Amino acid sequence: MMGVPVIGQHAWAGLILGLAPCVAGAQTVYVASQGAGTLVALAPGSASGGAPLAVGRGPAQMAAGPGGQLYLTHPDTGRVTLVDESGGTVRRTYPVPGQPFGIAISADGAQLYVGDWAGNRVMRLSAESGTLEGTVPVGREPAALVIDGRGMLYVADRESRQVSVVDTTAMARVATIPVGEAPFALTLSPAGDRLYVANVRSGTVSVIDTANRRTVATFAVGGMPYGVAVSPDGARILVTDQRAGTLVVVDAVSGATLAAVPVGRYPEGVAVAGHRAYVANWFSDSVSVIDLTTLRETYRIAVPEGPRSLAVPPRAGR
Amino acid sequence: MRLGVPALVLILLSGAALAHGPTPQKVDQSIVIAAKPDVVWKVVGEFAGIGSWHPDVARSEGSGGNGSGGQRKVMLKAGGTLNEGLDEMSAAGLSYSYRLSDPDLKALPVSSYSATLTVSPEGDGSRVEWLGRFYRGDTGNEPPEDLSDEAGRTAMNRYFADGLKGLKAKIEGNAAP
Repeated sequence: MMGVPVIGQHAWAGLILGLAPCVAGAQTVYVASQGAGTLVALAPGSASGGAPLAVGRGPAQMAAGPGGQLYLTHPDTGRVTLVDESGGTVRRTYPVPGQPFGIAISADGAQLYVGDWAGNRVMRLSAESGTLEGTVPVGREPAALVIDGRGMLYVADRESRQVSVVDTTAMARVATIPVGEAPFALTLSPAGDRLYVANVRSGTVSVIDTANRRTVATFAVGGMPYGVAVSPDGARILVTDQRAGTLVVVDAVSGATLAAVPVGRYPEGVAVAGHRAYVANWFSDSVSVIDLTTLRETYRIAVPEGPRSLAVPPRAGR
Repeated sequence: MRLGVPALVLILLSGAALAHGPTPQKVDQSIVIAAKPDVVWKVVGEFAGIGSWHPDVARSEGSGGNGSGGQRKVMLKAGGTLNEGLDEMSAAGLSYSYRLSDPDLKALPVSSYSATLTVSPEGDGSRVEWLGRFYRGDTGNEPPEDLSDEAGRTAMNRYFADGLKGLKAKIEGNAAP
């Protein structure tokens, strides 16, 4: 605790030095709070959040489209909300069947893939209108969804201990890959050759070779891994441990734990922007910002109640 | 593709029986006790011993020891049994974490939870913090009132608060002046 302000000063110093040349490429991080029903923008390097945008009750998961627009799922009310690329306006809200939870967006931004938590299937919706275009059955309680550059969709089937692979062109499941117990979060390596799976109840991360569609390693993390991200160079896996209240930093090759950085209570979503990791502390109503060079928490930003999901829209103007 | 109304109803109903819903809820209770942390821990740190201090508990029994993987069966005075598994016991940190193994809506109107109890120094005494994350009893989108988020919050907060009050009474009542 004592170290936080000190490290914070270093971070600020680095920030000020680095700010001018980086402004154009700096990324805003968005955090959705399920309890409060809000979206907050965290400007690059800022130690406080922007004004909360009311997005409707219970936003659970969120994904950014190629143009920077944000889509949020509301499982309790059966809705998807579209927030414009400035992050400041709710542009549209669609009703969706079932309990929409995990969400991924096609590379061209035209289709949304939304997991129906209670319906054990993935729905394809028109991003423009919210129209249901098709469905594909997956395992029980689909949690996280991610899509790769070739249109392969990976689904963490929480109560089936597997990842379903869906070819989105055909809307057909082409593989199921056994993983640990209660897979919840997923992330792809920057090259797309590895899929990392956070298994809540077995305290592990499964490493999937996406070309061969099989688990090639299982890394012991301990506790309850609820969120996973990868460093921009692909060398480190970042895992939130909800039980210990830490961000566990794992070597992507050896699986060795390099650090367990204390954050808030019940951390869940984790995202990387530049050389910082952002962790949504669900219980503590805050976001921890971790410097990936020092592996220390540099500051903690208060946000509205129940933050779970983070999104980092692509940089504008690329 | 279009789904008919009966198909939709089936899909919605099928969710109600599953163990987890999409909207977690918080429970957060704490109390200050006029006794040193190690004294408090002696009472509260035995996972299966909750029956000795929680006033809502009729009886508790354990199996598998006081470490990770240990189980306790907590029979409540008002009816129902909580089967709970110990995830982590930190005697050095005066803290343990556990979770519900199987829901029993008679005992508590929730479908799952994880929780942590921690004893820390506070002034000359201790603070005991008991917090957790849970899902309502009916995780479908139209829960009856008695299995709603609100019902879960009320029951969980009462159960934790009752327990801490009982713990305080037991320890302070037994403590030498």
